[in-house]
Amino acid sequence: MHLQDVIDEAVSEIGTVLLGKEPQIRLALCCLFARGHLLIEDLPGMGKTTLSHALADVLGLSWKRVQFTSDLLPADILGVSVYNRNDASFSFHPGPIFTQLLLADEINRTTPRTQSALLEAMAEGQVTVEGETRPLPEPFFVIATQNPVHQSGTYPLPESQLDRFLMRLELGYPHPQAEREMFQRQRLNSTERVPLRQVINGEQLAGIRDAVGQVHASDNLLDYLQRLVAYTRNSPEFEVGLSPRGGLALLDSARTWAVMHSRGHVVPEDLQMVLPAVAGHRLIPSGDYSGDSAALVSLLQRNVDVIRP
Amino acid sequence: MKAQQQIPRNALGWAILSMFTLVLPHIERIPPWVLAVYLFAAFWRIMVYRGRWSFPRWPVKLGLIIAGFAGILLSFRSLVGLEPTVALLLTAFALKLLELAERKDAYVLLFLAYFVVLTEFLFSQDLLIVLVCVLNVVIITTALVALHRPGDDRFNLRPMRQAGVMILQAAPLMLVLFFLFPRIGPLWTVPIKSQQAKTGMSEFMSPGDVSRLSRSGEVAFRVNFEGDVPPRSELYWRGLVMSRLRQGTWSALNFYEVPASQRRQNEPEPLGEPLRYSIIMEPTQQRWLYGLRYARSTSSGIMHSADFRIFRPLVIEDDYLYQVRSWPDTVLEPELSAWRRRIELELPDGANPRTRRLAAQIAAESASPAEAVERVLNLFTREPFVYTLQPPLLPERDRMDAFLFDTRRGFCEHYAAAFVIMMRAAGIPARVVAGYQGGEVNPVNGTVIVHQFDAHAWSEVWLEGRGWVRVDPTAAVAPERIELGLEEALAEEGSFLPDSPLSPLRYRKIDIINKIRLRYDALTYSWQAWVVGFDADKQFDLLKGFFGDFSARKFAAVLLGSWALVLVPVAWVLLLRRKTHALSRLDRLYLNFCRRLESMGVARKAGEAPRDYALRAQRKIPRLAEQIADVTKRYDQLAYAEGASQDGELGEFARAVRSIR
Repeated sequence: MHLQDVIDEAVSEIGTVLLGKEPQIRLALCCLFARGHLLIEDLPGMGKTTLSHALADVLGLSWKRVQFTSDLLPADILGVSVYNRNDASFSFHPGPIFTQLLLADEINRTTPRTQSALLEAMAEGQVTVEGETRPLPEPFFVIATQNPVHQSGTYPLPESQLDRFLMRLELGYPHPQAEREMFQRQRLNSTERVPLRQVINGEQLAGIRDAVGQVHASDNLLDYLQRLVAYTRNSPEFEVGLSPRGGLALLDSARTWAVMHSRGHVVPEDLQMVLPAVAGHRLIPSGDYSGDSAALVSLLQRNVDVIRP
Repeated sequence: MKAQQQIPRNALGWAILSMFTLVLPHIERIPPWVLAVYLFAAFWRIMVYRGRWSFPRWPVKLGLIIAGFAGILLSFRSLVGLEPTVALLLTAFALKLLELAERKDAYVLLFLAYFVVLTEFLFSQDLLIVLVCVLNVVIITTALVALHRPGDDRFNLRPMRQAGVMILQAAPLMLVLFFLFPRIGPLWTVPIKSQQAKTGMSEFMSPGDVSRLSRSGEVAFRVNFEGDVPPRSELYWRGLVMSRLRQGTWSALNFYEVPASQRRQNEPEPLGEPLRYSIIMEPTQQRWLYGLRYARSTSSGIMHSADFRIFRPLVIEDDYLYQVRSWPDTVLEPELSAWRRRIELELPDGANPRTRRLAAQIAAESASPAEAVERVLNLFTREPFVYTLQPPLLPERDRMDAFLFDTRRGFCEHYAAAFVIMMRAAGIPARVVAGYQGGEVNPVNGTVIVHQFDAHAWSEVWLEGRGWVRVDPTAAVAPERIELGLEEALAEEGSFLPDSPLSPLRYRKIDIINKIRLRYDALTYSWQAWVVGFDADKQFDLLKGFFGDFSARKFAAVLLGSWALVLVPVAWVLLLRRKTHALSRLDRLYLNFCRRLESMGVARKAGEAPRDYALRAQRKIPRLAEQIADVTKRYDQLAYAEGASQDGELGEFARAVRSIR
């Protein structure tokens, strides 16, 4: 089966549980294909968890879910060494993090201490427990969900930790039509969650990853990327611009997006498609700027022309 | 309110600061309550800023405006004239603070502020004032810069740097405009009536007037001689000729009191080599000018009167520079007309009987008028007359009798007046001349500084065959006044500049203060001569000196050329800094394609990428859908796909673009 068809199938498979959210589903897949961690931010009940479960199913990854609460400790995620009375030694009981896909629900409800334990794992692909470094399975993804920061009882993730997430998605309210369909289906269905079928296997995942490496980014495109990045650093609307890592994340995502659309080279549209999800949480508007981050990104996109001025 | 329209805190701070630095130089001219309006408006605005108060509603504003008008009207008794108008402008400027809500209001305020800076020059063009105005421009520009730096949430000096750079960048252009921009006379010199007090000499002189003037250390004028400065005893700066005595007061004849036939100067034959010099007068709000005996001026607009004075029909409101040539040995009016003789002999009937008797007696004993002059001067020398700045008060009637026979203490105007009355009583035509005597030579640049305390009055008598001869009775009483100056003459009395204890002139004995004073004075002279005095004539001379004979076309060429000389390097630097690369041929062609579609009503949006644009265009212009797709695909391949673009492919791309029509 051709890559394009596989991806389309995956999208439609997830679409059966998350109605009318195709762009977000594609972005989420793009994020995982690019080996990035995904942050989903929205109000409770918008389908954050549904999306993350669906992604795990479709990719056929082993997954574990951790509900983050304010009293969760690092050991609850990473694991602990337990004294074994029989052979008089300590044996390590791995925590839920030793999985291919970790669903970190409501990550901003736990303390910074626990957050950073997770974030080391995200950045390094390994964890260090009691002085011993243990590698995590391959591939390793984190899909974290969080409530909007202004909700009560949250510990907002600092910028340095937000930066570890390749993309941040907002789901938003469903389209009225999709919502109606959802209501109708609710009557027929039981409350039990039916797992989706796996569409993409590990081999295909690696294949996509290889293909991303082959995608060509021309000088013209790199120019455009650089101008975008430079604009965020020089323009007064931004308190903090994009870091070099942010720039790389943009390029990586755009490459993946190009592969997902069967192109051998990146076009500006690819960059523009991933821009809100990749750059939105990395940019901090200056105190004078009144718009939200979506408005900020669209301002960036409007003010930097594709063709060099 | 949207964030973009807010005034950053720093800009607000600078704007309020600029208002106060703007009103400061005006402080002498405005009623004190205007300053209170500034404090009040600033306080209100700050309370608004702190969220305690709100902006005034319109009835309050209306009330403030009416109160402002009424206040000006009450303070000045008029709304016309320079001072009331400026005070009104300053009041309105202060009240504008109460409307300073959004960024656009700040623009109005700050642009108005530049205008307010200019009003200062209507009153003074002093070097110090100019420095203050430059500082004000820096502050206003700083506020403007701060207005463009949102998020500056504390009052700070940072924007000043950019403001300074901007002003320095503008300086070369300013110099070009100053030297080369045509000085269109009438448009710029509309006379505005000022209520400023007249200073210096007045056209009336009664005992006590000159001595009052002698208490001032202000500068009257500065003189620059070509060649050596004549000895101080020869420096009699004639200003006014007073021929008429009425009720004890001497006055000059009004222009219309001179019969038309007598108005023209009976031009004498100049004798010997002239002294050449230029004078820069401080504003006097009067018409007459000063010059040494037999003065003729070559400057335009200066007239010569029948009594050998020079004057200008226009009141001197600014520093005024004029050129003079003087022939001190010239015989003035060898023949006296009947009218002139009558005027210069006129005495009020019955006044000062003792003086007239004495004069008649002296005249009878003298063989010639010249001898009578000698005898009267001898009288002043012989009798115990005292030269003093504090003469006793004289009675209303028969003042000169009281002075000559009783008090015998007086200043130059007493002696000059007494002498002229005696001469006239003796039948010799005589008159009082008022002006300045002496002056201080500034070793720094060789100019002669004439102060108000050099004010002096002396007399002229008409002698057969010699014409008008200068006689200074003060020289007979106090020769040191003429030889050394007022300070030495009053050394014993210790009454030099009694009202200005801080005047640097009082400390001439202290070397360092004196040196600083003279340096600053030399600087002022240069400023007046080269900047304030740079008028159309000087401009023409300067350009002529550089470019030979001058035509309008040449003038325009020089103006534009020098302009370019200043602007081209600036433009060059700006271009270099922008680092714009030339567009590649590919991008040029693609933009051509966009223009073609734009002319059909589908403009590329800001930041729109080619494929999205193509989709939109295809929907709008279906008949070109295929061509648009073709161009976009080619552009996509050439700009973003792997492999360098080939010239041949570019040619095809160009053809594809041209197919859009």
